Amino acid sequence: MEQLGFTVIMPPPTSKRTISLGVAHSPEFACLPIKICIGNLIEAHELGADTFLMAGGVGPCRFGLYAQLEKEILEDAGLGYKALIIEPPGQGPWQFLKQIKKIGTSVSWMQLVRGFHFSYQKICIIDELEKLVQQIRPRERIKGTADKIFTYALKTFDQAKNYHELCDAYGLARQKLLHIPQWEYTKVLKIGVVGEIYTLLEPFASMDIERKLGALGAEVTRSIYLSDWVREHLLGGLLPGISHNMYHKLASPFLNHFVGGHGIESVGASVNFAKAGYDGIVHIAPFTCMPEIVAHTVLPRASKHCNIPVMTIYVDEQTGQAGLNTRLEAFLDLLRDKKNFLDRDITMC
Amino acid sequence: MNHRIGIPRALLYYQYEKLWLTFFAELGVEVISSGETNKLIIDEGAANVVDEACLPVKVFFGHALQLADKVDYIFVPRIVSVEKNAYICPKVMGLPDMLAACKKELPPLIKPVLNLRKSNCVKEFAWETGSFFTDNKKQVFEAWERAKKAQSKHDLAVVQEYQKTKDIKDTALPVLILGHHYLLEDHYLNMDLQEKLKKLGCQVITPSMIGKEKQEQFIKNFPRLMFWSYGRMLLGSLYCFGQGPGLKGVIIISSFACGIDSFIGNLAKRYLSRQGIPFIELTLDEHTGEAGLNTRIEAFIDMIRWRRDSVENYISSYGYNMGCTEGVIGAAGLHSDHATSYQ
Repeated sequence: MEQLGFTVIMPPPTSKRTISLGVAHSPEFACLPIKICIGNLIEAHELGADTFLMAGGVGPCRFGLYAQLEKEILEDAGLGYKALIIEPPGQGPWQFLKQIKKIGTSVSWMQLVRGFHFSYQKICIIDELEKLVQQIRPRERIKGTADKIFTYALKTFDQAKNYHELCDAYGLARQKLLHIPQWEYTKVLKIGVVGEIYTLLEPFASMDIERKLGALGAEVTRSIYLSDWVREHLLGGLLPGISHNMYHKLASPFLNHFVGGHGIESVGASVNFAKAGYDGIVHIAPFTCMPEIVAHTVLPRASKHCNIPVMTIYVDEQTGQAGLNTRLEAFLDLLRDKKNFLDRDITMC
Repeated sequence: MNHRIGIPRALLYYQYEKLWLTFFAELGVEVISSGETNKLIIDEGAANVVDEACLPVKVFFGHALQLADKVDYIFVPRIVSVEKNAYICPKVMGLPDMLAACKKELPPLIKPVLNLRKSNCVKEFAWETGSFFTDNKKQVFEAWERAKKAQSKHDLAVVQEYQKTKDIKDTALPVLILGHHYLLEDHYLNMDLQEKLKKLGCQVITPSMIGKEKQEQFIKNFPRLMFWSYGRMLLGSLYCFGQGPGLKGVIIISSFACGIDSFIGNLAKRYLSRQGIPFIELTLDEHTGEAGLNTRIEAFIDMIRWRRDSVENYISSYGYNMGCTEGVIGAAGLHSDHATSYQ
């Protein structure tokens, strides 16, 4: 966006204050993402933002009305915000770029495509690195080393100005990660994490569930990475990758129709993980999320059929950690027991 | 062969009762609907579906389970969309799969897909349903046409009856109840709200009395695409009602954890606050204590009546736009969000 002649104001990272602000202004039974989103927007306004950019939608998930509701909420709260709403890029990257170009005034197509390409490369590299971190977390000797390196690496990525610098930063971070001392003998559980995209991608929303699972000795794989989403929705599936159609096919014995959001992907990805020999599935969704409630209802049947344990966790504005920790520990203990892995006592503390 | 087919009296049943019943009657299929909702049905439904599901889905499960040992098939159409560019709701779209995942033993489900979002494929839907019982395509389509006529005749009658009474000047307070059909017409779930209001001297107006045509006309005032049919119905009715003359009140009634109403209700509240129309929001759940509901309705009706009877153009300086006090008061098993505005 900065290349389009705007000043971009990043809201501070999501915190308890963000959620409190969001909760105060949002409808009570709305889902967590909009509450956080409104909190972010209010905090950005405090830093001087006057316009927000938001995607629209055509349903049936509530996300499609986020932009409209946010606009009205912020108006009623007395914050003078202008809204730029981008309709969903159903027609591939060109439509999307056209809409962006309309917003940015004096930008050439070349710049736009280059900017988009660079962002995409960055997202792919971050995802690659994160996959490595997910592998190392359960095996590292000193807990938290991989995450420290990862956080630092993200900063160096932000400073990179072109693809070469990005690759250099990636190579360096990768080397550092591979040199982390690891336990040789650890038996590691493999857990697939599925669910609604926002709660999967925003660690604060899911209370850092991936890190927690890592600390408990589980290797985590997510069903959706941001680069997959961009590839699927913005590039229109031009590039190879796990396509949603595959998930639809896998989910069809249990859920035979698109239900909005990522409901069907959650079910399909669970079946996929089961086939790939994973030990368990953790399903995360925001409280009252409509598509994920459908997925949650059919998952027990899929779980029984594919013989893979599934635990569903709903997240909301409550930030107490103990309940989640206990449940994750208990779930992993059960999985370990099933595989006779009970040789090491791993707890959260 | 004589089949008995069961239709749960829940969710879209209240909207398409005439259509389903006429269609199956024309095909010579025996239909058994589940009875009126009662405590047992709600309890059984709530016990057999995930806790996070909304009240209407729990009620639906209860009705379906009640039919389980009485019928050969259960009719659970997957109604994705009933009009162009609009959906019903993700949960209704996944309903047959949700029911199939139920732990209890159920008879086979008939689950034809109706999706009019992009193309008009009503005929395929009729055939998919009818082919269970007959090979005669003509018979199915004729039955469908008659069923459709019966349904639209019924819908029209509701609108016309309201039009007749609308212009009669009397002392009754016009009150709009905004809610989905399955809440407004299930008298157990809403604790006979309409009767209660009539006893309090209100003229009750529901979205079905306003009619599809008016709703579609007024929903154009909404600045973006409203992609839920329920949203189109509720906001369309509200805009139509809100722009009419006279003092009035609005009761927004929704079910606990309803995803659509969390947004539509909030948008409606903001519109009403801007227009200075008093409103109250009631949220229904599995609890059955009536006292909380009664108190709130009485207080609300008292307030709008005082407002009407007080000096014309009287503007209260206190509590201007008191609306939008968020927060649930859980009292006597009733979640209610009390918000009224004076002007």
